[in-house]
Amino acid sequence: MADLKAQIIEQLNLQEVAPDSIGNDQPLFTKEGLGLDSIDALELIVLLQQHYNIRIANPEEGPKIFHSVRTMAVYITENQTVKA
Amino acid sequence: MQIYINGTGCISPQETAQGGPLLATPREYEQVRLATVDPDYKQWIDVKQIRRMSRVVKMGVGAANLSLEAAGITAPDAIITGTAYGCLDDTGVFLTKMVNQQEEMLTPTAFIQSTHNTVAGQIALLLGCNGYNNTFVHRGFSFENALLDAIMILKEGSAQHILAGGVDEITNHSHQLLSRFGLYKKTPVKTMELLNSPSRGTIAGEGAAFFTLGITKQPGAVAELSGVSTLYKPLWEGEVIGHIMKFLEDNNCTPADIDLIVTGRNGDIDQDEIYEEVADALFPEHAEASFKHLCGEYPTAASFGVWMANAIIAQQEVPEAAAFFGKAPEKIKKVLIYNHHQGTHHSLVLLTAC
Repeated sequence: MADLKAQIIEQLNLQEVAPDSIGNDQPLFTKEGLGLDSIDALELIVLLQQHYNIRIANPEEGPKIFHSVRTMAVYITENQTVKA
Repeated sequence: MQIYINGTGCISPQETAQGGPLLATPREYEQVRLATVDPDYKQWIDVKQIRRMSRVVKMGVGAANLSLEAAGITAPDAIITGTAYGCLDDTGVFLTKMVNQQEEMLTPTAFIQSTHNTVAGQIALLLGCNGYNNTFVHRGFSFENALLDAIMILKEGSAQHILAGGVDEITNHSHQLLSRFGLYKKTPVKTMELLNSPSRGTIAGEGAAFFTLGITKQPGAVAELSGVSTLYKPLWEGEVIGHIMKFLEDNNCTPADIDLIVTGRNGDIDQDEIYEEVADALFPEHAEASFKHLCGEYPTAASFGVWMANAIIAQQEVPEAAAFFGKAPEKIKKVLIYNHHQGTHHSLVLLTAC
């Protein structure tokens, strides 16, 4: 998950955010969490494609997949397992 | 109807964002490319928003905020910008990704931020301004046309306060391309010696200057924007001289009424010739100030010239770093800014103390 956090920070250009400061279960899209917005959601979709070759087939799954770093990591692991 | 410059803001290769006396500590460079002295943009822009902004957007937002703060206006009725190059850096990022990634998996941020009207759009978003928002992309007339649009809207009566400005950035890529056209000096020249350097080419620059214009005078106003005019590709110097005479007539004055001329001399012996001819023909005894040795050459550099002229009227003094010829009278009431960009785009702006 540390690698994923670093990738998120780089992709979203989250200045002054350290990977350690992002909690594994911290919500990504709420004000109490990282406070990301819809443009960030598109950036995260591109991140999954670029780094993990994963395309999200069902957009309705988005909120669940991108809820937190842990949910993203779980989704990546499951889909990479399927691919393998 | 008078149009007042109620507030100004400028971010440039000089320390213009700090306030204080005009060019009290001018920065001298010995290079062919000048970059802006950036203030701390976080004073105006939230950290979460600033991460998506390229330098030119930050420059524009910063200068716009400085201008509005000086005018004491929180919400203008309209936002009008002029830019020749737009958001070049993000355009480069987007196009590079398109090529490298074979048009696949393109990220939205660089695309969104690469349009020319991003600066005006971001200012509007930050201010929550839903009014008229327009960007002029007319090469060396971009800033002047933004001013003309603002003047027309104010005269129509459909706005009380308008934020208008010019902004352009230079990037590594654009500098390389423009250098190939022979626009810049082959070897670096000290900027304070630029205007007397006997060679072709100038120095590249960048910056943003914004003006809060209104039909009512705010406490911080020192000058009226009396007139703006442009002349494209004059055939010979006589056409420029005739155009200036007509412009002055239209504004009910003669060369004798002008206290100071501010010219866009840039140290290129070919391009500066026209300033000599205009000065000899119309303003032989007038004091002259210049500005491109301070901010560099770029298509909207006239915005720096207008900003400087307004500051000169405020201080009633031409700073040593800007003085080119003669001594300005004790009372500086009318200032004529005459600029041209690459010999094709000639513009005049007249300011009158108020």
